[in-house]
Parts: sequence; C-alpha cells; structure tokens
Amino acid sequence: MQTIDIKIIRLAAYYGLLLIPLSILLWFKVPIIGKTIMAVVRMTAQLLFVGLYLQVVFSLNNPWLNLCWLMVMVAVADFSITRGCGLNTKRFVFPLFCAIVFGSAIPLLIFVGPLLDLPNLMDARYVIPIGGMILGNCLRADIIGVKDFYESIKKDEKRYMLTLSQGADLHEAILPYLRDACRAALLPTIATIATIGLVALPGMMTGVILGGADPMMAIKYQIAIMIAIFSGTAITVVLAILMTARTGFDPYGMLDLEIFTDQT
Amino acid sequence: MKASPEINQRKTTRQKSASADTLPPGHTAIKVKNIGLRFGEKIVIKDFSLTLFPGEKVVLTGDSGSGKSSLIRCIMGFCAPDCGEIFINGTRLTPESVWNLRQTIAYVPQEPDTGPGTLEQWLARPFSFRINRNIRSNIEKIPGLARRLGLLPDILKTDSCRLSGGEKQRAALLSALLLERKILIADEPTSALDCGSAKKITQFITDLPGVSCLLVSHDSKLAKKADRVVNIP
Repeated sequence: MQTIDIKIIRLAAYYGLLLIPLSILLWFKVPIIGKTIMAVVRMTAQLLFVGLYLQVVFSLNNPWLNLCWLMVMVAVADFSITRGCGLNTKRFVFPLFCAIVFGSAIPLLIFVGPLLDLPNLMDARYVIPIGGMILGNCLRADIIGVKDFYESIKKDEKRYMLTLSQGADLHEAILPYLRDACRAALLPTIATIATIGLVALPGMMTGVILGGADPMMAIKYQIAIMIAIFSGTAITVVLAILMTARTGFDPYGMLDLEIFTDQT
Repeated sequence: MKASPEINQRKTTRQKSASADTLPPGHTAIKVKNIGLRFGEKIVIKDFSLTLFPGEKVVLTGDSGSGKSSLIRCIMGFCAPDCGEIFINGTRLTPESVWNLRQTIAYVPQEPDTGPGTLEQWLARPFSFRINRNIRSNIEKIPGLARRLGLLPDILKTDSCRLSGGEKQRAALLSALLLERKILIADEPTSALDCGSAKKITQFITDLPGVSCLLVSHDSKLAKKADRVVNIP
C-alpha cells in the first residue's frame, strides 16, 4: 500500500483552514493571534529545514552524523528547557544536557537494541524519529517538573528553612518538592497512556498506518514508544532535578535566587 | 530566671580567638562577632556582636527593620553575613559546619508554615530525617507536651492549614522541643498569642532547664523574665 503524497499547492491551500481559528480568536479578542501566526511560520520554516536536512541524513545514513543530529536535538531541548523554566542558562545548561542525554539514551538504546534488534543501532530511519519522540516528551515534562521544583521551593521558602532547621540534609529537604515536581511532570504522560486509543490515535501509530503497515504492527510500535516515553520522561525529570540541585543551591543549602532569570 | 553568677563571670572572661575555627568547648552557646549584612545598598546589620551563654535566656529587641530576623537567619545559616563571624557551641559557622550546627539548634519561626497534612503528621516529619531517627520515640511525648503548651488533644488530627496563628506558633515550639536541642531560637514566639497563652508560653520557655534561648520579642513580660535583654540598634 503506497502512501498518497500531498501536493505542495494543496498543502498551501490547507493553511486556509487556519482562518477559522484565527477568526474565532479575533472575534473574541483573544490576544494570541500574533503568537499563533508566528508559531505557524516558525513551524513551517523549521519543518522545511529539518525535512531537507533529514533527506540528506537518511540518504547518507552515517552513524556519526545521526549521533550528531541527536546531540543537536538534545542541545535544542536543553536550551528550550532552561528558557521555558526561566532559569539561568549558563548555570543549568550543562547539568540539564547530561540529564537529557542519560534519560533519553536509556529507553532509545533499549528500543533500537534488544527490542528491534537492529543490525545498525544508529540507523537514521529508526533512531531519529524515535529519539525525537522521546526527546519531545522529555522536553515538555522537564519544563513542568524543573520549573515546579524550583518555584515551589522559592514560594515555600519559610517551610523549606524550617525543614533545614529540623535537621534535614539537602536531599531530605528537597525530597517533598522532588515528589511534587515528578507528579506534576508525569501526570500528563500517565493520563495519555491511560486513554491512548480511546481518546486519540497517537502520532506514531497514525504515521505507521499511513506508511502502509498493518495496524497490529502500528500498535506494537505504539506500545513500545509509550513505554519509552514514560521511562525517558521519568528518568530525565528526576535526573534534571538532582543534577541541577548541585548548582541551584548555595553551600548552606539555600536556594540561590540568582538562578532565576526573572527575579520579580 | 536571672543570670547566674557563673554566667556573669563568663561575660567578663570572654576569650578572643578571632580567626580560629573553634572556641574553647562549652564556653558559649552562640557567639556573634562584629557581623555586618546588607541587601543591595541597604545596610541591614552593622558591626553587631552578641554572646549567648549556655543555659542563658536572652531577649533580642529592636525597631522594626533593625535586622533582628536577619540576624536569626544568619545564625541559622540561611544567609551568610557580609563580614564578621558566628560561632555555635564554639564552632565557626561555615558552609561545611552549618549542616552539623543546625542540628544543635531548635528554631521557631514567627509564622510557621506547616504545609499540608494533619498537625500530628507535621510533628512526626522531622523524625523521618536520618539525624533524628534515634530520638523517634519522642513522638510519644506529643500529647503530653501539647497539653502543657495549651493545645487541645483534638487539634493533633486537624489539618494544619486550618490552625490559627497562635496554634501554629505553639505547634512549632512543640516541634522544636521534641528535638531536644540545647539551643532554642524563637522569632516572636508570643506575637500571635492571647495574654493567657503568652504568659504560659513565656513561663514555659524561661523555665526550660539547660536550654540556651535567643528570643526575638517585643513582649515586655518575656523581656522581664529573661536573663538579659539585648537591643539591636
């Protein structure tokens, strides 16, 4: 079964569909029209660039080039998380990078290794889309988790100080905030896992079906990718908090307010 | 309780060891030496010194904004002074020593934030910390101590978010006492209490045997009962 290609002219016309939501936003004076247009323009430019680049990457299928591309994806995710959390990029970029690399590499390598048994672990056709899906979800969860963690401690400074005064070491003092942050970061993924197939057909499954595969094969891929996403997000959130805690607190165990870029 | 002759004698025989990491053991409970603190351009504390001897009850007074609470924060290691030194039980407060030194001080904040859960759960939480596990049996003392501090037994099952300011203050004092530490630092411990409760708590704190107390307060009754009143300019 061949996937039907989309003609450029028809895709361009399909942008017209956006006129409906934009009209609704305009009618109700919802002040996000500019942001929406900007997001659509960015999405188009980014996807066109990535599409062209991936064509080259897929045709060369060089393991080192594929690895480099994955690292670029991690770096972009890394900067997006620090910016999304309102945290000092200089201080957080390295520990977050390590957390994302470790957290996403574990489920990705198990996926392409023991699960798919690929002869070439860095096969672009598998490692880039699957890595991208894991990273995309890690990015969203890490922004929620890391932001929640640091802002909760900032908000509950008095409670946090009282905990330190009661004899808690840094690990014990941050543990309740780590728990809450993990909960906030992972609940959306858990909700997605619980309702998958009933509420929506996920992107990967749709892609595999559109690619002409049997629906049961698509479901097996989807189950594996959901496990990979949940594992990746859980590992990266915990690692991101623990690894950034070394730079986020001063030697007295107090939250260093200079980590926040917006100190209002 | 008035200052004993022994304490007065100690006041006159303070030893000077400016740069040493330790003072002679048992000599002072807290020694603050010429500390200064500023937030940005604003000078909060300027060249302030204070000594609290073992077993002594000192009330710290001063105008609003004079830096009383900031001084407490410095002693607890919640912020580092720009200059000067702080010694707890003779050991200099440093980033390395702060973790051990905090474990020798019981701290009662002015507005305790008890967080979610029942009061009983909140009071038991410090005993989950590694350092307090050996005194976990003190949890059994909660009902008796609560009664002595004027807290009704039913209150222990109450969601701590629903407690009044005065109840929270007494709960924080109860929590501090359960940890059996030799130094008690309390920031306005009677500010949210009615006259009767304030009197009871004042008596209770000043009668604590062998506990050195540094109490930030504007309460004249507490000041009268203390060994010494120190004004922070």
